[in-house]
Amino acid sequence: MRAAAVATLCVLALGSLGAQTAKSQWKTPWGDPDLQGTWSNQTITPLERPREFADKPVLTEAEAAAYEKRLVAAGDVDVRQPGTVQDVNLAYNQVWWDRGNKIVADRRTSLIVDPPDGRIPALTPAAQKRRDEDRRASDGEKTAASWLDFDVYSRCIIRSALPRLSTGYNNNYEIVQSPGYVAIMQEQMHDTRIIPIGTGPHLPATVRQWLGDSRGRWEGNTLVVETTNFTDEARGSTFQYATKNMTLVERFTRVSDRTIDYQFTVSDPETWTRPWTAKLPWNRIDGLIYEYACHEGNLGLEHMLSAARAAEKKK
Amino acid sequence: MRHTPIALLAAFALSVTATAALAHHSFSAEFDVNKPIKLEGTVKRVQWINPHTWIYIDVKKPDGTTEEWGIEAGTPNTLFRLGFTREALPVGSMIVVDGYEARDGAKRANGRNMTLADGRKLFMGSSVGNDAKN
Repeated sequence: MRAAAVATLCVLALGSLGAQTAKSQWKTPWGDPDLQGTWSNQTITPLERPREFADKPVLTEAEAAAYEKRLVAAGDVDVRQPGTVQDVNLAYNQVWWDRGNKIVADRRTSLIVDPPDGRIPALTPAAQKRRDEDRRASDGEKTAASWLDFDVYSRCIIRSALPRLSTGYNNNYEIVQSPGYVAIMQEQMHDTRIIPIGTGPHLPATVRQWLGDSRGRWEGNTLVVETTNFTDEARGSTFQYATKNMTLVERFTRVSDRTIDYQFTVSDPETWTRPWTAKLPWNRIDGLIYEYACHEGNLGLEHMLSAARAAEKKK
Repeated sequence: MRHTPIALLAAFALSVTATAALAHHSFSAEFDVNKPIKLEGTVKRVQWINPHTWIYIDVKKPDGTTEEWGIEAGTPNTLFRLGFTREALPVGSMIVVDGYEARDGAKRANGRNMTLADGRKLFMGSSVGNDAKN
C-alpha cells in the first residue's frame, strides 16, 4: 500500500516535472514567452457562421466529422461551370489549392466568436458604399489603365491587409523573437511585421504604412499587439471595407508545443456598427518557409494590362 | 439539407473571397471567358516561379508546324510541400489543357484543367492533403 502511494507520488511528481519542462521550453533564453517557429493558420472553418448552423456555435464530434468530410469532398472534386467568370477565376486544377482539411479543433462553426451569432456586424452606410465601389473597381480591372488600378495582392505589395485569415494557399508564417522585438513573416509575399515590445507611443497619425504600426506587450504568456496607422493608398490596403483608422488588437498565446491560440479584434466605427472578434489556431508546420519572389515573376499583371490595351484597340 | 458540391464550393469560395482574391490576381482580367480552348501538346519547359507557375507546351497545328503556348498555373510552394519536384512534369510529357485563351490574343491560356495524354488528371486528387494538425 505504502509502496503504491510512493509510486503514485513519483508518477505525479514526474508528470509535474514533465509539464514544467514543456512550459519552460516555451520561454526564450531572456525569459519572454516563446512563440518562435513556423506556423500555419490554415483552416476550413468559415469566418462567418453558415446559416445552416445559425443556432449551433459548436458542433458535436460526429457533426464535426461529417461537416469536415463534406467540405473536403466539395473542395477536392473537379467542379466545372464552363463559360462562366467563376470558372475562369478558379484558375487552375484543384491541386494548386491548399485550403486544408480540418476545421478548428474546438469544432466551432465560425471563426468569429463575438458577436455571439458568429457574423460580421452590420456595415455602416459609408462602408457599404466603399464595398460597392470596390466591387466596381474589381470589375474595372478588365479595362485597367495602370498597375495602380490593381489591388495590393496583384501588385505583390502585401498579401492582404491585417489581420490575416486562412486563404487558398501559402498560409504559412515564421515568428522570430529577440529581446524587445517580435517579427512575423508571412510566406506569401514575404512581408514581415516588426513589432516592438513596450509602451512607446504609435507613430504620428500622419505616418501610414501597409502593415500599420504595431506595438506589442506581454500580458502573462500572451503577446498583445495593437496596430494602428493603416493606409488606404491602394486598393485592398485596408481590411475588408474598413478605413485606415481601424484599430486591430491581436492576442497570441502559446497553448501547446504545436499550437498558438490566435485571436483578433477589429474596431472601426466608420465601418462596423460594433467591434468584432475572431479566433483561429496557428498550428506548427514541420519544415521551412519557402521563397515567394512575387515581383520577379509577376507576369499576370503585365498580361492583364496587355489585355486591357488589346480591348481598347478593338473599340 | 443536403448540399451539392457546387453549392459547397461556392460557399467555400465565398468564405475565402470575403477578405481576399481567390487566386493571386483576377484570371478573368487576363483570360477571356468567351474563348474556351483545348490544347494538346508536349511540355517544352516549366518555370516553377511565384506567384504563378508557367508551363510552356509545343502544340502541333493541322499543317504540321508547332507553336508554343504558355499555361498559367498556381504557386509552386504548395506542390513542393506535397512532394512534387521539377521531375513531376518532365520535358516531353504530353498534356491536354482545357482552359481559356488570353484576352490580348497572345498564345497563352490558364490551365483550368490539365490532364495527361492518357486521361489522368494532372496532379488531381491531393489538393487538401496538408496535414497541419488543429
